[in-house]
Amino acid sequence: MKITLIAAATLTLGALTAQADEIRVLNWQGYGTDLNWATDAFAQSTGHTVVHEYFNSEQEMLTKLRTNPGAYDVVMINAVFTPQAIEEGLIAPIDVTTLANYSGIPAAFANDPKLVNDGAVYGVPWTWGLTSFAINTQAFDSAPASIQALWDPVHAGRISIRDDALEAMQIGALATGQDINDITDLDAVTAKLAELMPQLRTFWSSENDWNQYMAAGEMDAATYWSGSAARSAAMGLPVQFVVPEEGAIGWLDGLSIPATSRHTEAASLFIDWMIDPAFYVQWDAEGAPASANADAAAALPDDAFNKVVLGDPSIMERVHFQDATSPETREQYLQIWQTLKAAQ
Amino acid sequence: MTGGLLALVGRIWLVAILIFLYAPILVMALMSFNASPFYQLPFEFTWRWYQDLSGNAQIATAAIRSVLIAWVTTLIATALGTAASIALFRYDFRGKRVLQILLFPPIAIPWLITGTAMLTFFFAIGIGRGTPAVIIGHVALALPYVIVTVTARLASFDITLEEAARAMGANTWTVLTRVTLPWISPGIVAGALFAFAVSFDQFVVSYFLSEPGDTTLPVLIYTAIRKGFTPEINAVSTIIITISMAIMFIAARYSKIGGNN
Amino acid sequence: MAGTLNMTDRRRLAMLLTPAYLWLLIAVFLPLAAMLFFSFLTKMPQDGPDWAITLDNYSAFLTNPTYGTLLIKSLQLGMIVSVICVIIGYPCALVLAKSIKGRAREALFLMVILPFWSNSLVRIFSWAIVLRGNGVLELTLNAVLPFDLNLNLMFTTHAVVIGLVHSYLPYVILTSYLALQAIDDDLIDAARSMGASKLTILRRLLLPLSLPGLLAGVVLVFVPVVGSFMEPRILGGRMGTYYGTLIEDQFVAVYNWPLGAALSFILLAVVLVILAVASPVLKGART
Repeated sequence: MKITLIAAATLTLGALTAQADEIRVLNWQGYGTDLNWATDAFAQSTGHTVVHEYFNSEQEMLTKLRTNPGAYDVVMINAVFTPQAIEEGLIAPIDVTTLANYSGIPAAFANDPKLVNDGAVYGVPWTWGLTSFAINTQAFDSAPASIQALWDPVHAGRISIRDDALEAMQIGALATGQDINDITDLDAVTAKLAELMPQLRTFWSSENDWNQYMAAGEMDAATYWSGSAARSAAMGLPVQFVVPEEGAIGWLDGLSIPATSRHTEAASLFIDWMIDPAFYVQWDAEGAPASANADAAAALPDDAFNKVVLGDPSIMERVHFQDATSPETREQYLQIWQTLKAAQ
Repeated sequence: MTGGLLALVGRIWLVAILIFLYAPILVMALMSFNASPFYQLPFEFTWRWYQDLSGNAQIATAAIRSVLIAWVTTLIATALGTAASIALFRYDFRGKRVLQILLFPPIAIPWLITGTAMLTFFFAIGIGRGTPAVIIGHVALALPYVIVTVTARLASFDITLEEAARAMGANTWTVLTRVTLPWISPGIVAGALFAFAVSFDQFVVSYFLSEPGDTTLPVLIYTAIRKGFTPEINAVSTIIITISMAIMFIAARYSKIGGNN
Repeated sequence: MAGTLNMTDRRRLAMLLTPAYLWLLIAVFLPLAAMLFFSFLTKMPQDGPDWAITLDNYSAFLTNPTYGTLLIKSLQLGMIVSVICVIIGYPCALVLAKSIKGRAREALFLMVILPFWSNSLVRIFSWAIVLRGNGVLELTLNAVLPFDLNLNLMFTTHAVVIGLVHSYLPYVILTSYLALQAIDDDLIDAARSMGASKLTILRRLLLPLSLPGLLAGVVLVFVPVVGSFMEPRILGGRMGTYYGTLIEDQFVAVYNWPLGAALSFILLAVVLVILAVASPVLKGART
């Protein structure tokens, strides 16, 4: 706190022309917006300082927005939840004409109906990525082509999936050849997941778990996120991300401005910086998800994971982007998932 | 108790338990000197995490905040808890059983739920968030532990001691400070140590009730597991436990906290 | 201790009790009462205006067998952990209170609590490093033993029990110690001079006199362990689903607070009933 005060004080002296605001960002911890070099660079060029608050689930993020009016200026929202935030009046439209880097975002993302309402933009597409699985390259001769590898008895007791009902059900949908956004045969998915349970070493719940278990040699293959897999590989773990023939789950994260923000100008500047190719290239070097800004993706070095793998059209064909899920469906999935877990 | 063999077995037992209690603490400290960011073995020595820590103002600030909050919590909870324990012990009155049973909900209901309940309620009545709210929550969670611990000690207190002192002309205050409190002081110390532990490890209440930016160490650790916490966390934990140990040994050297006998 | 109190005593009683209970009232009882109210709602009022009163959250416990199964599993876990804590903790307290004297005892007394002053998540993760395959425990044992050992303790119920016993053992040790230390040594000497054996002294003198302390410790272990979720989740792997993790999921994963609250109050009710049934039985064991 002392540090921010001193920083704020020196900045006020340094940037007398611009009004220095403190903006508050609500995001997952360690997810791009809180990189020290990035906030430092932002403070240097604009005079605005950045303070973070973190959430541990999307539901918690929504609750924080509801119960703390005026507390936040920028919020990171998974596009699946943006319609709900718009409907509840939690976030405000953004004047994208003030965002210099917005033009680099392809129409497919920019016009995503989840982010746009009545022609007004409520969420700026920021990053996207895949949920699939990653393998320990020491346990496989070559990367498997099918998601059925997770069910392969050769890897019994050496598989892990995230302890998350929705994700588990969608993985089950992929494995049974169903639409992840409209699972019609729930019994087939339940049966498929019941078969997976004895294969599991454990559930993982965070990147931290995942890296530690992988480093300790506890797992052969585990579900994972593309950006996190890139980060784990960059840190030296023997990890390869697999997009199987059955496809992978795609997600899109956007940045929004809460309706009660009192620093919308500074918030817009920060969002613009977050979709800036210069920021993204440096972030990607540390392991980042894919950027929703095509200019930023193009600026990556040619050997970058996010350019090689996610830039490959044959892979993009296999991506099934997530739609919004109703609370009732979530509750139903959780019941199925809890019953499966309790049977162990 | 004499009996050479039995005493020896007893001491070995005690040492074995201490090894069990300190095993993870020792591993925690060891890993703060291990080069692998994923806690991989074999062990490879490094100072790196301590060097990183010296440049990490966020962890240091959070650690100091946590210690301060824990101190304030301990002082308040111990004072209020001891007073309540003495009242529950000394007086018989209607509703006493109810008051004793009421200590269980805060212990039995997972802190996650109590923390959530506090969050909603504090907003509804206007306490809101911030350090005072955090302390109010921590004291409330620590109080039952203090009361149960002090009551456990009081159960063996001989009430006739107080009567004897009063018969010799001592007033209520003198009886309290010269007879009752010294007798139960080991219970008070144990209660205070628990109160400190409850507050220092409490992430749910702090997580919900802290102002953005004002994090405590447990909150930092809890939110860090998503990204992965580095051995820096071990380094700061090791520093804290070392300082605590030093303070405790000094305290043990200059006071009779284990109780007279 | 008279049944009716005079004015002075009443004033003193109020002075001593009010601060603690007023604090608990504002910070715990009223919030929990609000939670109790929420447990009878279809959804949280803050999430929308169309909420209604319902018993569904409680009937869910009866209609979905998963909840009951897991509650029994958690109660068993609580009992196992409590019993182990008593078996290893009480002798430890006995040695500390009656066999060790002076400064060493004070230092040891403090050393028992000190591990508590570290973060529980860090402690649990350290246990994971100790217990996992090729972890600290296996490496140490294999370095000492002539044969190779493969314990594979991580992600089992054993790992959960080890982690929980570690977290809660100090409660039993300290409350037992506080009661044992208060027993006058002259009493023990008198018993011995009358020819009582060590076992008789323990059974007829030390155990009954220290029972309130021991029971306080058991309560401080059993009650929170039944609702624990962090140790089971991290150390138990796919075996780590308990009643506490069920409640945690309702609060964290789907944010169904009414159902989570209902499950918590069922837990509280069951725990209170068990304590009520158990307390006369245990107290009866005194004579």
